[in-house]
Amino acid sequence: MAAALRPAILRHLRIPAQAQSLTMDRSAPILSSLVNRIRSMSSHGDEHLTHEEVVDRVLDVVKCFPKVDPSKVTPHVHFQKDLGLDSLDTVEIVIALEEEFKLEIPDMEADKIDSCPLAIEYISNHPMAV
Amino acid sequence: MSITGAAGYLGRRAAQKERVRILYRTALKDALNWAVHRHLFYQDASELREKFEANRHVEDLDAIDRLIDDTEAHFRNFQHPDPYIVPWAPGGSKFTRNPPPPEGIEIVYDYGKEE
Repeated sequence: MAAALRPAILRHLRIPAQAQSLTMDRSAPILSSLVNRIRSMSSHGDEHLTHEEVVDRVLDVVKCFPKVDPSKVTPHVHFQKDLGLDSLDTVEIVIALEEEFKLEIPDMEADKIDSCPLAIEYISNHPMAV
Repeated sequence: MSITGAAGYLGRRAAQKERVRILYRTALKDALNWAVHRHLFYQDASELREKFEANRHVEDLDAIDRLIDDTEAHFRNFQHPDPYIVPWAPGGSKFTRNPPPPEGIEIVYDYGKEE
């Protein structure tokens, strides 16, 4: 029961990082800028990718795939049904996406990614996508 | 063919397709691990793809299973001993190194300037 609830809760849980830094701004602007500077130098990026950025970069990767007609690529395409690729091409695209976002996707999860919406959802929900 | 026979056939085909996808994925990543330079990898990758394409139209289920078994055994033998892993991913060189401090703790770096 708890195991089933966990993904549902995690999906809706968001930590209000933006709101916190705004309140900090009002009370102590110097501290806030210091904190921001330290964070920008840290290797653990607190800055997460925005959804638009993920969409742009995923579409760029798909468009650069040699067998794909770039004019057909939209955020809603299915690799095999809409772009006329086969299953091995899909595997290659997923590996290209892993390299683009510096991810290590487990095999069984990577196997499920077969369309742009799924890829965009997976990457934008991934905490370590760069 | 009976209904159960058809369902069994489709189920077996689906399982085989999944095995081939995962096999191709591991083999392709391993090709990248073995390649010293990126431009050498491209040649290896297209050769690997040709090997997979050569058996694209095999229809016999048992023959397909045998091919997959053979190829899996082959790639187990030629696995890279030290594969590339994204640094922060489990097994990577940065994994759990330098974790961010707990929530609510700030570190102020003013080296030597504190009182």
